[in-house]
Amino acid sequence: MYRVKAWTTLTYLTPMIVGVGLISLYPILYNIFISVTNQNLYHFRHYSFIGLTNYQSLLKTVDADFFIVLARTVLFVAVCIPLFLVFGMLNALALNHPAVRFKAFWRVALIIPWAVPSYITAFVWKFFFNGEFGTLNQVYRVFAGAQAGLPWLSDPNWAFASVVIANLWMSYPFFMIVILGALQSIPSELYEAAAVDGAGGLRKFWRITLPLLRPAILPATVLSAILTFNTLNTAFLITQGGPFTSAAKPGATEFVMVYAFREAFQLFNFGYIAAFAVVIFAMLFGVTLGSLRFSGLVREEAR
Amino acid sequence: MRVLSRFGVPMLIYAFLIAMTIFALFPAFFVVQAAFRPGQSLYSLTLSLWPDHPTLDNFAYIFTKLPFPTWLRNSLGVSVGTMVAGLIGSASGAYALSRFRFAGKQMTLILLLAIQAFPSVLALIPIYLILKTIGLIGSPFGLVLAYMSIALVFCTWNLKGYFDTIPRELDEAALIDGCTVTQAFLRIILPLSLPALAVTALLMFLTAWNEWVMASVLLLDENTYTVPVGLWGLQNDYRVPWGYFASASLVVSVPVVILFLGLQRYFRSGLTVGGVKG
Repeated sequence: MYRVKAWTTLTYLTPMIVGVGLISLYPILYNIFISVTNQNLYHFRHYSFIGLTNYQSLLKTVDADFFIVLARTVLFVAVCIPLFLVFGMLNALALNHPAVRFKAFWRVALIIPWAVPSYITAFVWKFFFNGEFGTLNQVYRVFAGAQAGLPWLSDPNWAFASVVIANLWMSYPFFMIVILGALQSIPSELYEAAAVDGAGGLRKFWRITLPLLRPAILPATVLSAILTFNTLNTAFLITQGGPFTSAAKPGATEFVMVYAFREAFQLFNFGYIAAFAVVIFAMLFGVTLGSLRFSGLVREEAR
Repeated sequence: MRVLSRFGVPMLIYAFLIAMTIFALFPAFFVVQAAFRPGQSLYSLTLSLWPDHPTLDNFAYIFTKLPFPTWLRNSLGVSVGTMVAGLIGSASGAYALSRFRFAGKQMTLILLLAIQAFPSVLALIPIYLILKTIGLIGSPFGLVLAYMSIALVFCTWNLKGYFDTIPRELDEAALIDGCTVTQAFLRIILPLSLPALAVTALLMFLTAWNEWVMASVLLLDENTYTVPVGLWGLQNDYRVPWGYFASASLVVSVPVVILFLGLQRYFRSGLTVGGVKG
């Protein structure tokens, strides 16, 4: 770390600061401004200030859209993350097992879902879930008869499960790679010593493997929880946020970002959704800061 | 017991790996077989794993009858633009944040963190309204600007993180020997960071290449569409044979899947990448 003349610092920082200021920070500040106006489809150019009305209508009752959408998204994260973790862990343990051969082949095969662009993932799974032509129901009919079919995208609970499955497919490789890397850095002496002391396989896993994986798994879990919370592509492209049981209520897979996207770009409620964005951002930033402090990263950055 | 752990456990593991591989690869295989399947034969009530009469018609159709080549060109332009502008805009700033001591540094880092915590879908709303006001809605240039709102912050974090791992002694020794700060940056730090610069650039390229949400809102005309927006239009219409969509998907994703798998060796921790791939 060295001191340089103030104008040198300024020269070096200018491109980034100006760029970030104009195209990242300014829109966020502008968003806060929109959130206290009534800008929407009918008041697009001639909008007026309405104070905190948008925030009030956002949070007015416990069954407001905001709370429904938020609760559903938290449930979605709570279902997804353990599944990602278990699948990632099992795959990593299998790939790390000394008896397994052709490790490079398995590894590449299992990582491919991560490499596929998420909009293509969404399209393919949307086709799989299709009630008539969908591959899943084609397979189901082989066993259950020609008239059978599961309501993958037409029933609210099944639709929720469908989005979870598609998300699991594209997300477990991330955990697999993170856990595999951490597994390979555990010194084998630990296991040998434990074996000498008479510890069995399960005991070694709970007492050695899992505690030593924690530092790798925790930040990965926080990051993945935030990304899952922000799910848009898979949910929107597969279900459009639906199925909808009533016109006035959010659909069964209308998670936070799907709701924001639909309200903003299909219904054009800019002022309202800008207030929604401010509240959601405050929550996400709180989680980010909390998890960074938790893992000691902030102190390190301050060095 | 001994026999079980000698053969039974590996068998179980192989069974698991085979099941997982089918789960992982079936969707990819499905796109491949759909791409070679003629006409509407995919829309069937019964299962068929491989077309009876494989054909290249779908590929011929998308390249000659659809604006697919235009979409490819647009995607390429937008992605390269985002990649180049992201790197140039962030490299010197990342160096300053890694090496210089100055007032307001802590503030800058926290601000960057806050910006990164602002989900891009939510940022899209003000970006859309601003671009509309300045008349850049529908223009690929406006889309690059929108992508830059993610790219600059990401590149700055990523490069700063890498610069931090280069031993300080290297550039400090150069400064003592009479190098200027700029020489230390250009002659020592940048050459040592070439792999990190390349990986960051390619990640930016992939992000822009695969991005659907922003492009679908900010592009209005079929001639300015990027590939994801164009393909979404095809896929969403059940009158259009899914084979067109599948063959186009293969053309755009096979190169990026290979690129991703190749880059994967350089992900020092998966975390860096997890942050970008949406």
